Amino acid sequence: MATLRTSCRTVAKLKRYLVQRTVATSSVVSNWNKDWQPGPFPKTQEERIAAAKKYGLRVEDYQVYPDDGLGYGDYPKLPIVSGEHRDPYEDWDDPGSKTNYNEVRHVDHDLYLEYKLDPNRKRQVSLNKQLLQFLGAVTAIMVVYVLCEPYPFFQPVLPKQFPFNDLYLEKGGDPSMEPTVKHYTFESPE
Amino acid sequence: MGNQIYAYITHPDTAPDIKNPPTFDPLYGFPNGRKERVLPLSREEMDRANMPLDKRDYCADIWLDYLTCRDKVYPLTAKCDHEYHKYYDCQYDDFVLRMKEYEREKRLKERAKRIEAKRSKEELE
Repeated sequence: MATLRTSCRTVAKLKRYLVQRTVATSSVVSNWNKDWQPGPFPKTQEERIAAAKKYGLRVEDYQVYPDDGLGYGDYPKLPIVSGEHRDPYEDWDDPGSKTNYNEVRHVDHDLYLEYKLDPNRKRQVSLNKQLLQFLGAVTAIMVVYVLCEPYPFFQPVLPKQFPFNDLYLEKGGDPSMEPTVKHYTFESPE
Repeated sequence: MGNQIYAYITHPDTAPDIKNPPTFDPLYGFPNGRKERVLPLSREEMDRANMPLDKRDYCADIWLDYLTCRDKVYPLTAKCDHEYHKYYDCQYDDFVLRMKEYEREKRLKERAKRIEAKRSKEELE
């Protein structure tokens, strides 16, 4: 019994070193994933104000996905700011994902992480121009191909000669109309 | 490339038709005649060997020698290298003959054109 009491006292002493209070363990707003679930779609103005306050947004900034069965309840519709587009020199709470604590995330936040999609990207060559360049190259090759098609490359040789009248019977010719085809070398007969 | 320039650009009228056999008399210009090409094999022999059509050319006998050799020494087929080499020498010679036929056709066409030009010129005078 004494041993147990001593161990309990030791654990109580060590507890503040063992269990450190971190951002994750001292979460104030929500502790469990059911707390992060969005509420029902706001119908009245009061509900809208309450929902905007819940997400830390101003009422005029608060927009909701339409309640057409594919919506997200009262979760706000935020503009896309991809991870790549966020300022790397800003003092983020989590510089790794460039997010602040308790920041409202886009509903597709995981899609716009730094190493994933970047819809905010400014392209050096626009997509239309890229398409035009691609089609232009393909068209140029096709034009050359079509123009050169009647003029194929060939070896300077006449057709191969085959014995037995160029295999007339073997190729399914009519035996009564078999022609006589003679082939010669370029040597003179002895 | 030179043949393409000749056939498509500089001399389209005298370029031989590579898809058809020669148009001139094969014995023309050979006072002693030409040796006829013969295959020392009969149709029945080739049928018996079940030869595909593309092998039934003027090298078929050498190909048949090669197959026979293979049957004899199998699985040491490397022993038939000699026959195999002979077969491809024969194919090479066949190709050279086709090149010669092309050149002959080309020169005869040019000659016919020269004769025609001379004849029409004399008619005008």
